[in-house]
Amino acid sequence: MNSSSSSRGRTWQSTTTVSSSGKRIQKEMSELNLDPPPHSSAGPKGDNLYHWVATLIAPSGTPYQGGIFFLDITFPIDYPFRPPKVVFKTRIYHCNVDSGGNIGLDILKDSWSPALTISKVLLALRSIFTNPDPYKPLVPGIAHLYLEDKAKHNELAAEWTRRFAR
Amino acid sequence: MFRSNNNNNVTARIFQRQIRTPAPGTSFHCARRFYENIVPSCTIYDAECPDHSFRKFTEDGQYLISFSRNHQDLIVYRPSWLTFSCKEEDCDGQDLPLKARKFESFFSQLYSVPLASSSELICKDFFLYIESNQFGLFATSTPQVHDAPAIGGAVNGVPSVEKITFHLLRLGDGVILDEKVFRNDYVNLAHSMGVFLYDDLLAIVSLRYQKIHILQIRDSGTLVDVRAIGEFCQEDDELFLNSSSQCIASADKSRQHHIPVDHVGQSDNHNQPSPDNSLLSGIKQRLLSFIFQGIWNEETDETLRMQHVKKKFYFHFQDYVDLIMWKVQLLDRHHLLIKFGSVDGGVSRNADNHPAFLAVYNMETTEIIAFYQNSVDELYLLFEQFCDHFHVTSKRSLYMNFISSHSNNIHAREQVRSSRNKSTSLPQFVKKMLSSLPYCSQSQSPSPYFDQSLFRYDEKLISATERHRQCTDHPIKFISRQSNTLKFKIKPGPEVGTADGRVKKISSFLFHPFLPLALSIQQTWSLQPAVIFHSEITNYSLYLMLGLVVEYG
Repeated sequence: MNSSSSSRGRTWQSTTTVSSSGKRIQKEMSELNLDPPPHSSAGPKGDNLYHWVATLIAPSGTPYQGGIFFLDITFPIDYPFRPPKVVFKTRIYHCNVDSGGNIGLDILKDSWSPALTISKVLLALRSIFTNPDPYKPLVPGIAHLYLEDKAKHNELAAEWTRRFAR
Repeated sequence: MFRSNNNNNVTARIFQRQIRTPAPGTSFHCARRFYENIVPSCTIYDAECPDHSFRKFTEDGQYLISFSRNHQDLIVYRPSWLTFSCKEEDCDGQDLPLKARKFESFFSQLYSVPLASSSELICKDFFLYIESNQFGLFATSTPQVHDAPAIGGAVNGVPSVEKITFHLLRLGDGVILDEKVFRNDYVNLAHSMGVFLYDDLLAIVSLRYQKIHILQIRDSGTLVDVRAIGEFCQEDDELFLNSSSQCIASADKSRQHHIPVDHVGQSDNHNQPSPDNSLLSGIKQRLLSFIFQGIWNEETDETLRMQHVKKKFYFHFQDYVDLIMWKVQLLDRHHLLIKFGSVDGGVSRNADNHPAFLAVYNMETTEIIAFYQNSVDELYLLFEQFCDHFHVTSKRSLYMNFISSHSNNIHAREQVRSSRNKSTSLPQFVKKMLSSLPYCSQSQSPSPYFDQSLFRYDEKLISATERHRQCTDHPIKFISRQSNTLKFKIKPGPEVGTADGRVKKISSFLFHPFLPLALSIQQTWSLQPAVIFHSEITNYSLYLMLGLVVEYG
């Protein structure tokens, strides 16, 4: 009930004020449609321009192979001057994603630039499947294992994918 | 010797049985034709009977299940057959003996056992029979709390029941073998909707916590948890997650300081972030990924695909996420048919107006195999042709094979087809037909009098599906299919009808699975204008309908 009332609130906002952030998101959406990044896609939830869902099909050759990962994207009202908030909705065993789905990715935090777009964010997100960053981990335990026993790490990541991400 | 139109005479049939071998595979069907000759045409009004609520005959006809009026005790009867002899010249004109008016002449009480504790009451709509072991499954519960707060991952808007207990009983002697308790949960017990029995497997849907509990009923009489599907898909998913996050957590612990220890409900919320950004549950992840892949693969051109996914998937994403599991049935030992819908539809009695979806899920491989909206023709056509695959019954039960459906009976099929042709809106018709899926366990009577190849009757007034129906003053006619003659009538109402608009009469019928014996139960509910559903039973009567088997010595 909570979510429905809040989404109604956001709908009202998006339909009455065609703000600059709205225009920018609209533009990014058409660009994304024209030139979609490989094996990933994103789009607004319902008619709410500020709340998107993204799907990443994990690349083969990685322990996440076969996984379909859903992510929530929330654009701030002053987008693109602040980064979008991106959260994994699917469980993942990854040193840069915590148990709540929060992502430790530089470009979504301090390194965000208004020049970045949602297409670039999707590309960056998909690259964490192939190149985890164990030196700036959100989950140090997984980062340790990645550095010390990569085979074991990959085995666990594959098992998580099989159990929680198919 | 006998003309074909005389074949329905009982003497002719016995003679035919002696001299003719039925066509291969039809011996049961031929034997069942005798039911045209022995019909429950004699009604005993106001039989002297105990004041219980009668639930049903078990599928093997061994037991009659009833509950005491105060919903505390289970009383089990063994149906028997009254015999008497008549030495007069004109036996047909002879009245039934006095003892035929007595309930005890047809049913002998086996035992009465208390099931409910002081705070709990027996759910009189709930009973499942495990024929292979002659076990019975009963439920008792405390009253519903409607505005229960949704804590600890519960779905908002689903009522809560403090305690629901399932009791497994050996029906032969009434010994309670095992119990399974659900606390602060909600299982839809009306017409056994929330529980499905397949062989020895039991699927119980917790509406409140969105879990399908799979239990096994062992021969020894114990209920064993096999798995719970919902938050997780595999039985050891949670263990796996906890054990692997333990090693993550222990490494993290050094960084975390001073996390206040709240009481249990709150600390749950710490682990699970607010519902808006919580992770998808196991079954939802499978469902969404199945829907996504289906839509993704429909289109191969990358640009078109993006548009396609946006319109067909992302636009509806939140609606899919908000779906809850309403009802479930087992299709075999591995496959579940799960009905998904909105929260409102799952709780309300009439869910027909709410959009719903049906998914086939393999609980061994944890894969969704199919997903349909409840108004698609494709699923309807499958249902029309292969209804019996949905309508799974216990393999051991012989009578259950003869329950008429539109897939095994030409008359039933014709009826469905004609109502399809008559319907003004096909999607509405499809929705209505598919609303019976997933099936309720043991909701149909195997009585031969409901066999549509033997009898024709008005399905609006009576059918094999057990349901309370509003009484009509008109008798219900059973007409022989073969000879097109009236075989017997059942009068649901009292002999003198009442025309009081404020009194609602409800009737239900309990047919014995193979004896020509039926109970008709009338309840009169007085409707108070303000509160319609909280009415009291003011009048209650029971009729016995039986077929007289006349033996000439």
